[in-house]
Amino acid sequence: MPNPMEIYKLLPKTNCRVCGEQTCMSFAFKLLTKERKLEECKPLYTPEYEVQRKKLEEILVVIEKATETGLIVDEEKCVGCANCIVSCPVHVEKDPYGAAMGKGITVEDPILRIEDGVVKIVKLDLCRRYGENRTLCVVCRENCPNDAISFLED
Amino acid sequence: MICTGCSCLCDDIVIRDGKIFHACRKGVKHLRAEKATPSINSKPVSIEEALKAAGKIVKNANNLVIFGLDTIPCEAQEKAIELAEAKNAVIDDCSSFCLGDFVELILKKKVPTATLDEVRDKAYVILYWGSNPHQSLPRHMSRFTYYPRSGKRQRGYEEDRYLAVVDVRMSETAKLAKKGGRFVMGNDLDVIDSFFKAMEGKAGKHPEVAAILKEMQKADFNVIFGGLGLRYGLKGDYSRFVELIEKLNEISRVVFIPAGFHANMRGFNELMFKKTGFINAYDFSSGERITFGEAVKHADTALVIGSDPVKSLPPYIAARLAEINTVVVNPSQSLTARIAKVVIPTSISGVGQGGTMVRSDGLTVELEPFEESVSDAEVIISLLEVV
Repeated sequence: MPNPMEIYKLLPKTNCRVCGEQTCMSFAFKLLTKERKLEECKPLYTPEYEVQRKKLEEILVVIEKATETGLIVDEEKCVGCANCIVSCPVHVEKDPYGAAMGKGITVEDPILRIEDGVVKIVKLDLCRRYGENRTLCVVCRENCPNDAISFLED
Repeated sequence: MICTGCSCLCDDIVIRDGKIFHACRKGVKHLRAEKATPSINSKPVSIEEALKAAGKIVKNANNLVIFGLDTIPCEAQEKAIELAEAKNAVIDDCSSFCLGDFVELILKKKVPTATLDEVRDKAYVILYWGSNPHQSLPRHMSRFTYYPRSGKRQRGYEEDRYLAVVDVRMSETAKLAKKGGRFVMGNDLDVIDSFFKAMEGKAGKHPEVAAILKEMQKADFNVIFGGLGLRYGLKGDYSRFVELIEKLNEISRVVFIPAGFHANMRGFNELMFKKTGFINAYDFSSGERITFGEAVKHADTALVIGSDPVKSLPPYIAARLAEINTVVVNPSQSLTARIAKVVIPTSISGVGQGGTMVRSDGLTVELEPFEESVSDAEVIISLLEVV
């Protein structure tokens, strides 16, 4: 997972404010949280910065894969153990006699569900990391020993 | 439906629009396995011809050995035992090198046990010994042991469970235990000694077991899951381990459950125990114990049902199976089927054939098939009729 410093090093570092941010460092942070797009940095698209731009595009591919909450699921690593689903506090609250007790989740649109042996993101609206009053919950990642679940900030 | 991919026998699997919901990767692979085709000497034939050829081979066998049986329902296992008796054959399953010895300890009532539902509702300390359920039984922890909130343990893994792992390597389960409990890395016998010493208030080679003991004292229900690591670590002498469980029960209630194996291994062990007093590896001609690995050296015919010994057992067994008349009865393509004289495909237990299976904790589960197809029991009955 890229960190803001790595991204910053590849930006023009001129603090030109063309993108609307005060500094290139703040632009780097916002690239990570998907609040800004690389195209908004106009100087980067001049021939002078072409090599850096290509490197940045490579680095940022993983961010494009991330969902609104920063959740990234690597299906290759998942074994379908459902630790993430059963431990999720939202699932426990919404499905007390299903997922909370270890059974397959019975809620129609849960956050995560095991489909064909691997975990799939179904609907993120319920996630505690979603919306204005979000918290930095990492319960699903903490209980995945295969590292199939990660977050952008990791 | 019920998944028969491992001994968890998960009963909450849903199949909708061609997708399998809630089953783990292992279960999906089992349920979607590539189907075998009936064949004689690797040439495709009709199932009737294959059955006829298999009947002839089994009838003419002088020294038959029957192996496998762990993935088929109890009803079919019963018929296979009848067939072995009728032919004075050797019968064995994977439990002779898997966790059969632990099932024997339980059937002979040498260690206290409980069901997985009791574990889910009551257990506090969950100790996996020589086992990595994350790989072998993916849903074991989320469905029955560490994660569920149920019965007396409503606060879940955060406060109401304590995970401990004894293993020789940093497994996935051990990683979780490091976060929310205790991980002990070492030799099984040393760890057992450390437990005894900790109970006397002394420090053994692994002083960290004292923390596990302390947690056990806090609760009235704790469980130890023994896996293959423990079975081989004890080198065939279980007396010290049985003694440890007895001693632990003086402090707090500690039950023992084998950590899991093939779907219906325990069912076979129980049937054999009732019939012969042995749980596996039995020779009906001499009434003695003989394992498949030994028996196959002298056998002229092998009937392999629901198993793939060429894939999982030493090469000399594969070489011997290729020499003798081998009949394979299995739903999916397997390496053993490639070297077999006759291959009879059957349906997957729980999908195309019903019956009962016994979960790793001894609970009998009724399968819920949703297709009609050739069952293992039908194939074995047809062989019995010929014999």
